[in-house]
Amino acid sequence: MFAIETKNLVKKYKDLTAVAGIDLKVQEGELFALLGTNGAGKTTTIKMLSSLILPTSGEIKILGMDIVKDRQKIREILNVSPQETAIAPNLSVKENLEFMANVYQIPDRKEKIEELVKLFRLEEVLPKKAKTLSGGWQRKVSIAIALINEPKILFLDEPTLGLDVIARKELWTVIESLKGRITIILTTHYMEEAESLSERIGIMAHGKLVDIGTAAELKQIAGKDTLEDAFVELATKGGAPA
Amino acid sequence: MRTMNFAKRNFKEIIRDPLSVVFAVLLPLLLLFIFQQFKIPSDNYRLENFTPGIVVFGFSFISMFTATLVSKDRTSSFLIRLGVSPMKPVEYILGYVLAIIPMIALQNVLFFILAVVLGLPFSVHIIWAILVSFAVSVLFIALGIIIGSVFSEKASSGIASIVVQLVCFTSGMYFPREMLGKGFSKVCEFLPFESCVTIIKGVMNNDLAGITPRNIIVFAAYTVVVFVIAVVLFQKKMLSDNKGS
Ligand SMILES: Nc1ncnc2c1ncn2[C@@H]1O[C@H](COP(=O)(O)OP(=O)(O)OP(=O)(O)O)[C@@H](O)[C@H]1O
Ligand SMILES: [Mg+2]
Repeated sequence: MFAIETKNLVKKYKDLTAVAGIDLKVQEGELFALLGTNGAGKTTTIKMLSSLILPTSGEIKILGMDIVKDRQKIREILNVSPQETAIAPNLSVKENLEFMANVYQIPDRKEKIEELVKLFRLEEVLPKKAKTLSGGWQRKVSIAIALINEPKILFLDEPTLGLDVIARKELWTVIESLKGRITIILTTHYMEEAESLSERIGIMAHGKLVDIGTAAELKQIAGKDTLEDAFVELATKGGAPA
Repeated sequence: MRTMNFAKRNFKEIIRDPLSVVFAVLLPLLLLFIFQQFKIPSDNYRLENFTPGIVVFGFSFISMFTATLVSKDRTSSFLIRLGVSPMKPVEYILGYVLAIIPMIALQNVLFFILAVVLGLPFSVHIIWAILVSFAVSVLFIALGIIIGSVFSEKASSGIASIVVQLVCFTSGMYFPREMLGKGFSKVCEFLPFESCVTIIKGVMNNDLAGITPRNIIVFAAYTVVVFVIAVVLFQKKMLSDNKGS
């Protein structure tokens, strides 16, 4: 059984095709990175896979369950860190964590929150109102919240956007520590990030998944020495937008 | 459980940005006070007639800040997070309604206290009027949810101010609706605001005969229809497909 399996996944907004038929299989415990140019359809794909929006057509199976029929069950076992920081602005960091723990009705709420506070080193910002934090801190909190229900499948949409180098490295360590236990789909514009964290990389352009493979495989397909060059080659070879 | 959790969060969001609460409570209080300072020779401004008008006027501000709260949530990524959680649509709606009820209570208690201080004779009927006005407030909360589900945060407060204006002009609180002609008067009869005021007025003054079947039917029909539209629209705009567009 695959953690995620899609068949000909399509999303249209009026006459704009944001996602143009994606077939994807992700193994349980795999860390899969999605690379793509701005507007390639990464966020839209994640929104469909995470049950936020319905596909225009196509199929999605999460751990064998159908995303439409078994929506409620699936929602218990996945979580998302959205591209834009998603926290309640007038609540403190602690209240944000407690609020989401209650949304998921976590039984050992206190221990879970303490664990996340340690993992993300949130001690010093706990009592602060979320809207008063710097962008990078808000992001860390937003990612920490995504782990509150111990998801089996985690979607991270540009998790390190806006983080300083040290914070980024720290987050990589956290993500590394989750590897194997959680299936993670991560989008990023940083080649280094995709290369060092993920097992496989998918390259999206104009709503299509143009190539999938390990970093080494992609470099070979494109005949380039660096992932960045390979990415540029593969993402632009399709030519005109869909 | 989830509903209360969400209501608690909404309540905190509201009181930690207290400007709108201040507005919804202080402005009607101020009007109630000021209009009693002039001895206006019109029955409209006698406390037993004007106070129910002020209550409904206050509710129109509740529509306004419900709309702001909902649209702020809708346009922020916070809702993406909740949108992929196991929370159900009805839990959202009830969470908003429950968070706003303390504001309604605060308004009502303060409005009636001021009215009594200004000379409205206290009776048990005032308590009944407060209870009835909770029921009336549901219409205004639902109106707010509709506006907030459809419009952006900025547009919401503008659109909601139409509700405020409609209450002023069509509820009969400031002038009898007949004053602007037969056609206008008929329109008012089929808008809910005059009925809201008349119902609260009838209960407060122990003059149930003053409440016509039309009042009850119009009010009940609007409340049911508006509430259903609120739930459906919210679900559609907030938790589905068209997010952001
Ligand atoms: N709600 C919407 N309504 C209409 N069009 C949309 C909507 N959401 C996304 N789109 C369009 O769909 C396309 C794909 O957008 P998407 O956000 O998925 O791209 P992305 O790969 O995440 O880009 P980025 O790297 O900039 O985050 C874009 O052309 C975008 O304008
Ligand atoms: Mg994106």
